[in-house]
Amino acid sequence: MIGTVLISLMAGSLSGWFTQLNDQVLLGINSIAGRSWLLDSIVAFFIDNDLAKAGVIGGCFLAAWYGGKTIESTNARRKILITTLVAAVFVITTTKVLSKTIFLPRPEIRTQKIYRLEGDELVEMKRMPVRTMLDEESQKDHRALLSGDIDPNDLGSFPSDHAGFFIAISLGIFLASRRIGLLALGWSIFVILGGKLISGQHTPLDIAAGATVAIAELALIQYVVRRSFRGWLDKLTGLTLRYSALSSAIIFLVAFEVSSTMIHIRAFLGFLAVMRRHVLLGMGS
Amino acid sequence: MTDQSYKATMFATNKIGFGSPDGLVWHKGKLYFADEGGLALESWTRNEGLKRLMDAGFGCESPEDLVIDAEDNIFFTDDDAGGLWEYTNDGQPRLVAGKDKGLISTEGIALAPDGSLLVGDGEMHKVFRVTRDGQVSEFLGIDYGITKPESMVYDDRGNLYIADNEDNVLYMLDGGRKLHRIIDRQDSFSPETIYFAKGALYITDSRNGKLYVYTPGEELKTIAAFGGQLKNVQGVTVDDSGNIFVSVQADLKHKVGDVIEISKEQNVVAQK
Repeated sequence: MIGTVLISLMAGSLSGWFTQLNDQVLLGINSIAGRSWLLDSIVAFFIDNDLAKAGVIGGCFLAAWYGGKTIESTNARRKILITTLVAAVFVITTTKVLSKTIFLPRPEIRTQKIYRLEGDELVEMKRMPVRTMLDEESQKDHRALLSGDIDPNDLGSFPSDHAGFFIAISLGIFLASRRIGLLALGWSIFVILGGKLISGQHTPLDIAAGATVAIAELALIQYVVRRSFRGWLDKLTGLTLRYSALSSAIIFLVAFEVSSTMIHIRAFLGFLAVMRRHVLLGMGS
Repeated sequence: MTDQSYKATMFATNKIGFGSPDGLVWHKGKLYFADEGGLALESWTRNEGLKRLMDAGFGCESPEDLVIDAEDNIFFTDDDAGGLWEYTNDGQPRLVAGKDKGLISTEGIALAPDGSLLVGDGEMHKVFRVTRDGQVSEFLGIDYGITKPESMVYDDRGNLYIADNEDNVLYMLDGGRKLHRIIDRQDSFSPETIYFAKGALYITDSRNGKLYVYTPGEELKTIAAFGGQLKNVQGVTVDDSGNIFVSVQADLKHKVGDVIEISKEQNVVAQK
């Protein structure tokens, strides 16, 4: 009994300390925002522009795909990269499902007075005094926030899907090619995710959780695919060498989608879901 | 909370016995519900709790919006059963005018200065005048261009405000029967219910999950934005102390609804 009480007290105090640390780290990193229009515009550019943000990761993916010096090493790299793509789909699904389930608005949203429903009570959330960046887009978003226009996506920031997706892809590239992978990982961490922290779009905890999902699922899927689908993977990799022109076209499309966080594929899947509802189930009007 | 001077509290949930209210009105210390999910007209006080005044047993199907006159007679609309319904001050339920008189799918309701009732019909795209003895006449015809008169209310100057949540326009009909488009922002505004109190018009927007206040001559201001299961804000009313109450249909099909109180920070809210 005493042991249980002690453990719950310790867990409570540890969780409080961890939350405080998370907030302090975020506020420390975010403290550079809102001081220089130039700096904020550069950070915002790398957050908003797909080519600047993720084009490098797409490029790294292509470099790793084609960079093998022998047939064997190319084969080995491609097996890892194909599995990485499968893992990335699982990772983004997991992070999206979690973020839609857990109500935790972005820190920039938590600058306002927000209530969350806990049982039958509306409980006011702790406010986060994050600074708003001075670039045009961030200022526009802030004005929209002040008039209550909030993107539903901004209400579920935990875990970060950007962290999940880009860490999974970069780590996969790293497993295929150390040098290129280091570049991809560095870009993901310092440019893509760093920008998310500076702008107050995510807390370190959101990013750590997204990265944990990425590492766990990438490891698991690499293991499962190699163990149970080795034959299929060998066949698929062989096909990419045999039909190199077609596989190049496909891999270009893949790299293109990687560079845009698979937004077009998600839109296409959404379109298919709408079509299914309207045409097959006859729910259209 | 977009207006930082307000705070929000959960005033009531299904635990008090209602289903999923749409229209609601504070009147003489009692809160009345047009309970669309619960298929009933209900009243609530702290001492008496929830009281069912009239339900589907009498023929109403989906109470939508309500008004109460000075003699405590309650009138409400029903978008499924149609018609104008009354629960008299001596406890008698009655259908004032039904579908046979052209009231097919009744939505907004307003008490006119002459004592008659104005009823908006979403399928006829008209506003009707209904007298207490059930005579129905056209008040605003199709030529006025109002597609769905979802909610209506008079201000203290005799202007009639009409919320059309299909065309997403807030209209104002002045004393000379000229119709003005007051707010017309297709992409970001869809008025669901309007309520006039103390010189201001309170507006809920179920599509965008918002509560606004509009004061003539001023900009539309957002008081609060709602998200998740509380996004579907429906009815709005204000009590004598100026506290705002909004009904939320969290899940109409499964009769899940709430009432949220939004009051000024400095107000002392009585323990519920």
